[in-house]
Amino acid sequence: MRTPADTPSIRRRLLALLLIPTAAIAAAATYSAYRTSLARIEGAYDAELLDTALAVASNIEAREGSGPLLALTPDAVTLLRSDVRDTIYYRVSGSDGHYIAGDEALGVPHQGVANPEFSEAAYRGEPIRVVSYRASAAGGGAIVTVAETLHKRHAARRHVLRSSLAVDAAQLATALAVIWFGVRFAIAPLREVERQLAARQPHELALLGTENVPLEIRSLIDALNRLFRSLEEARLAERSFLDNAAHQLRTPLAGMIAHLELLANGNSGHANTRALAALAGARRLARTTQQLLALARSDAASRAGAEFSAVSLPAVIEACVESRLSAADEAGLDLGAQMEGSVVHGARWMLEEALGNLVDNAIAATPPGGSVTLRCSAGDGHSWLEVCDTGVGIPAAEREQVFERFYRASNARAAGSGLGLAIVREVSRVHGATLELTESADGTGTRARMTFPAA
Amino acid sequence: MARTLSGMRVLIVEDEALIADGVRQALLGAGFAADVVGNADAARAALAAEYFDMAVVDIGLPREDGLQLVRSLRLRRDALPVLILTARDAVNWRVTALDLGADDYLTKPFHVSELVARCRALVRRANHVGSSIIEFGDLRLETVERNAFAREQPLELTLREWSILECLVLNAGRLVGKDRLMSAVSDWSDELTPNAIEVYVSRLRAKLGDAAHIRTVRGLGYRIDAHAG
Repeated sequence: MRTPADTPSIRRRLLALLLIPTAAIAAAATYSAYRTSLARIEGAYDAELLDTALAVASNIEAREGSGPLLALTPDAVTLLRSDVRDTIYYRVSGSDGHYIAGDEALGVPHQGVANPEFSEAAYRGEPIRVVSYRASAAGGGAIVTVAETLHKRHAARRHVLRSSLAVDAAQLATALAVIWFGVRFAIAPLREVERQLAARQPHELALLGTENVPLEIRSLIDALNRLFRSLEEARLAERSFLDNAAHQLRTPLAGMIAHLELLANGNSGHANTRALAALAGARRLARTTQQLLALARSDAASRAGAEFSAVSLPAVIEACVESRLSAADEAGLDLGAQMEGSVVHGARWMLEEALGNLVDNAIAATPPGGSVTLRCSAGDGHSWLEVCDTGVGIPAAEREQVFERFYRASNARAAGSGLGLAIVREVSRVHGATLELTESADGTGTRARMTFPAA
Repeated sequence: MARTLSGMRVLIVEDEALIADGVRQALLGAGFAADVVGNADAARAALAAEYFDMAVVDIGLPREDGLQLVRSLRLRRDALPVLILTARDAVNWRVTALDLGADDYLTKPFHVSELVARCRALVRRANHVGSSIIEFGDLRLETVERNAFAREQPLELTLREWSILECLVLNAGRLVGKDRLMSAVSDWSDELTPNAIEVYVSRLRAKLGDAAHIRTVRGLGYRIDAHAG
């Protein structure tokens, strides 16, 4: 789906609304688990440290007169200090804090109420964890202080942090996948509607199916279907209006023309001249009516999607020539054709109407003794249909304007509505054809050519 | 015995008085008898009561339209030639009309002379079925004997010329394509070229003189008209 990133998207909204809180909750849970593990590990190491302090304390012996004394063999001290990763320091102080044994520089931490008392400090430029234990040993008591560097604690902390983050990432990834697919699945009905609409022809107005449509978009589909229905009704109304208009306009005209023809044939002199003049006027009115209806119908057809099919251009030419033979005879012109098989995808009535208008124009523009030739052919992936005459031509400066409705060329020889080429252009547009007006090959007259894409 | 075209009787089914009267006057002027009815029921009643050679039927009739009338006639196996008049010019209307059994159609507004010519051609074609004589203007063709007469004078025609003349006359007033003429004479020769058709037509013209005019429609074919013009 090609949509700009700033277009609101239900999927993006759902993903954002679900993913961000999920990620926050997962992060909070991980943090809390990390803190808990950390406290447990610290507790374990502190207990070990205290064990060492207690072991030292149990080796303090009371001496007569000179206060307590630490009775540890060097081996025992080595054992006490042994640790894989950390350095262990100890100091035994009297209850008043004076040095008795161990690392004198360790100092005696401030004594709080708790016993044992844990604290953080620094020793020899390294952070240490310290426990001090007041032993109420014989001989007045002593304070045992044991400290260790923080290497294994830090390593444990890093390990916990790493595994917590790994678990968190796995959880988040799983949640993301579940939400992603869940959202996709949840909006699948929307995509289905979208697919149905995208698969349509531009003018297809069939109603959308409402079975299996989720409640949430049911009213949207109903609204679309109401719109489709009213468009279809408007289209039918327009078509029947045009049919009615054609009937209501043409029927009295046909009667009028029939009577005028009879009058013109059955009289002589002035009455005949008048009847002929009236007949010419009535025919022109009929022609203009026909052209206006054709324009309106091709407008409507192009909007509503005309029923296109394969149309043989020679057949269109044949019908057109047959219907214009009498007019060509009256104008003293040689009307003919030159055809090679070609088929276009189109609406036959529109093509006949367009070609008829081109031929009418050619007949009107060509003086007696001239010729009008209809041609069609195909090649190079195109089909074309053209009308050549030996007439007065269209001034080059006016070749664009002649396509406008009701425009009439300055050198027009006969009365016309000025609608013919507008119809031809409209029909070309509907068929995706290009329309060009040029001089005929031999330099006299006009050549009008419609070039169609291959059928 | 073939009926001649004069004395032919046409039923006009048209509710619009102006057209009905115009068509009736034109047919009367051409030497036909013509009666007018305004709807499908009256048309069926008239057809049941009296003989008509053909009917001119408007599509836009009140209540039951002209197409339904034609269909009901064809369902009763009534082969009456029917020319449909229509104010609707979409090709699919024409196709529908012809599919339902109409023999020809004209779009309003029409030239009265063309209407009369189409009526003549329809009756001529209908009479040709089951008859051996075709009359066209000053021409008379005896189809069994393959004899042709111009103003009662026999014409010396070859078989090919005769076939071409018959094909043109049966489609009088209409454009007949070269390919159609070729298939009309191709029974006994497959090697016929469009040029050969031109040769036959020009010989035929010479033999017909001004009894009938075969008009060349450049690049398309020919049309026969009753009088040289």
